[in-house]
Amino acid sequence: MSEMWINMGPQHPMTHGLWNLRVKIDGEMVLDVDPEMGYLHRGIEKISEDRHYNEVITLMDRCCYVAGFAWEHLYILAAEQALHIRPPERAEYLRVMSDEFQRIGSHLMWYAAFVQDLGLMSPFLYGMRDRDLVLDLFQAYTGARLTYEYMRVGGVRNDVPPGFTDRARKVLDWLDDRYREYDALCMGSTIFRERCDDLGILKANDCVAHGVTGPMLRAAGVRRDLRKDRPYAVYKQIDFDVAQADAADVTARYLVRMEEMRQSNRILRQVLDWLDHHPGPMMADNLPRWLGAPYAPIGNEGYLLKRSYPKGTGFSAVEEPHGEACAYVVNEGALHPYRVKFRSPVFSNISAARQYLVGYHVADIPPIMGSVDVCVGEVDR
Amino acid sequence: MEAADLERALRPVLGDRLLGVEPFEGTAGRVRFRREGAVDLFRTARDTLLFGHLTMVGGIDWVDHREVVYVLWSDTARQYAILSADVPADDAHIETASAVWPSANWHEREAWELVDISFDHHPDLRHLLTPDGYVFHPLLRSFKLHEPEELEVKSRHV
Repeated sequence: MSEMWINMGPQHPMTHGLWNLRVKIDGEMVLDVDPEMGYLHRGIEKISEDRHYNEVITLMDRCCYVAGFAWEHLYILAAEQALHIRPPERAEYLRVMSDEFQRIGSHLMWYAAFVQDLGLMSPFLYGMRDRDLVLDLFQAYTGARLTYEYMRVGGVRNDVPPGFTDRARKVLDWLDDRYREYDALCMGSTIFRERCDDLGILKANDCVAHGVTGPMLRAAGVRRDLRKDRPYAVYKQIDFDVAQADAADVTARYLVRMEEMRQSNRILRQVLDWLDHHPGPMMADNLPRWLGAPYAPIGNEGYLLKRSYPKGTGFSAVEEPHGEACAYVVNEGALHPYRVKFRSPVFSNISAARQYLVGYHVADIPPIMGSVDVCVGEVDR
Repeated sequence: MEAADLERALRPVLGDRLLGVEPFEGTAGRVRFRREGAVDLFRTARDTLLFGHLTMVGGIDWVDHREVVYVLWSDTARQYAILSADVPADDAHIETASAVWPSANWHEREAWELVDISFDHHPDLRHLLTPDGYVFHPLLRSFKLHEPEELEVKSRHV
């Protein structure tokens, strides 16, 4: 018997970011784990208190660097509630379109990284290749591939360029065929199944108790998706199914994410059709003049600058690619938010690591943590 | 579920430890309570009102006092609810929620190090996002962004 603690991280192929998983092992068995976060803590919540409402959007893109749109949308919804602003309908459709393309992009990034952890090299290349098609679309209407700064309090920055919807449909057609290929590569591979089946099991009760959400919760048989349960933006008008599996293991999480990408295609086709037939404004027309101000006074005392605008508190929740994200924005009648608090889904998913890692082998840690889909940017903020 | 329903369910349990329930757009309501009623409120919220998920815990520094905000989700009502308690700035502590919802563990560690609110009987109250030995609480209003700080950081494990 020789028990010891080893570090997996902060630089380790398993981490997919910068964090440290301390593991207590006895031979090959995992006896205990202790995730150590904070290597990427940039104080986004603190910096937000020092910025104009629209300047916080820049930080949101950097919160989760593979799902920037989801975080922009999250913050915008809370800020609009705090400031009592309603966006026009076309802007909401454009936000949903961005969200869903982002979900595909994020899941493809996860797919590429996850299967590479398992030692399958070709799916990694395929996943990254197809994610680039989605990034090309982002570039076409936001000018950026990773940090978009597209959504604004009260709407979105600009419309999609002419011919964009047809181009987007071609990408969706291409992706539909690719999803079948991915499935054949993974579910048809004995190596994949042997490494993933019955691994990292986290049952529904434990998921709920430890705050685990998103694909991990749906893979445990709980049909919970904020797009259905608490529809924000225009998800109420859109027809789609919630992906679900029952095995609660790594394979089930893979199946849920694959199905989510198919459902995103379905949502996107409806949104693109709507965009073709409903031109309209991009921004709300009753915006206060100060919200359009390009520069806000800098300084921690900025909140002392009073303006005559109602105070308010905003709360929003969106189904981010990784799970349930929440934002709490306090507006105290200044040019800057008084306090911004975010709830990151991965934060809670990692906090439950002891529940789904202990009792397995050291070599099982990369596939299990891969199936969690870690994005450290949003954990540390 | 609406604010009145929450008040009706919580008033008999909490009595005057419940300060009131106000409507909050997009949620069942915001419950304001005295910190002495924390444990009873948490248990009632989970077992009677069926708020099985604790979504997040956050702290707000109001300079003269601090506020602890809890967000709950109920799978049966498909709704959020917000709980909020004020604690004095010079004696900022409240009972932990992690005995009722284990998911509170990390959220409370974060609120402890960033907003300087202590959680009584927390099983594992140590630094999460900031290094060990970090004596500042960055999310307090007294922490200025534009003034440099000096700090010697110790290694966590030697």
